[in-house]
Amino acid sequence: MNFVILACALFALGLYGVMSRRDIIGVLASVEVMLGSGTVLLVGLSSSMTAASGVRPDPGALGAIGVLIIVVAAAEAAVGLAVLVSVARILHTTQVDGLMEVKG
Amino acid sequence: MTMSGQLAFWILAALSVAGAATVVFGRDVTRMVLGLGAFLLSVAGWFLFFGQTFLAVAQVFVYVGGVLVLVLFAIMLVHRAEGADPALTSRHDVDIAAVALSVFGIMVVSLRSAWPSMTEGPVPTSTTQVSAQFLGAYLPHLEAAGLLLLAALVAAIVIMGGEGE
Repeated sequence: MNFVILACALFALGLYGVMSRRDIIGVLASVEVMLGSGTVLLVGLSSSMTAASGVRPDPGALGAIGVLIIVVAAAEAAVGLAVLVSVARILHTTQVDGLMEVKG
Repeated sequence: MTMSGQLAFWILAALSVAGAATVVFGRDVTRMVLGLGAFLLSVAGWFLFFGQTFLAVAQVFVYVGGVLVLVLFAIMLVHRAEGADPALTSRHDVDIAAVALSVFGIMVVSLRSAWPSMTEGPVPTSTTQVSAQFLGAYLPHLEAAGLLLLAALVAAIVIMGGEGE
């Protein structure tokens, strides 16, 4: 099953981006990569499970869970981007190294 | 897997890896957003590949049509407020690569037990099946998702409106 390795590699790539990027926008985009690869892994693994083992989920339920994941990720992106714009306006920087205070 | 299935698999794999690599390693903001768009489109393609048509359409509508435009707006706002160089900086390090590789290894090893129980072709899912779940067993989850979206909307407005004094 090559897609498992591929999705894991994409997740690790996103993780590398989260840790190596210095810009908040880069970190947010890398988080989106991690979320996307995790969703692909979930959907791929669940829809490929064999019916004989008795663990195959209802495809409709899988679609519902996938939509819920997309909703959560969209909410995360909205709040994250609002924080990005707010930080850029107040601190005049988007570098994560410049964010040293909890209280802005 | 059929020949066309294998072809679709490798095209999707190439698109998602290229998009993710552009997001992680790209230095230009515009290219990074384009790479993110390619990656998100490839995720929609993976959903189609696994027979989840409704998920693929939702992914395109929410991510490519919504989140990506939001990211573009945020970048334009930030660079207008900041007046900064649009080049992205990153700190590539062996330690970071080692952590990412370790996570990759842990994930592959822990998921290996699920591999033998897989079939060749996923079952296509219709929108009727998804909506039946949403109006049945997953109704509380749907309500919670609506509440979460409302909370995120209010939070975004509060965060954006709380500055400027």
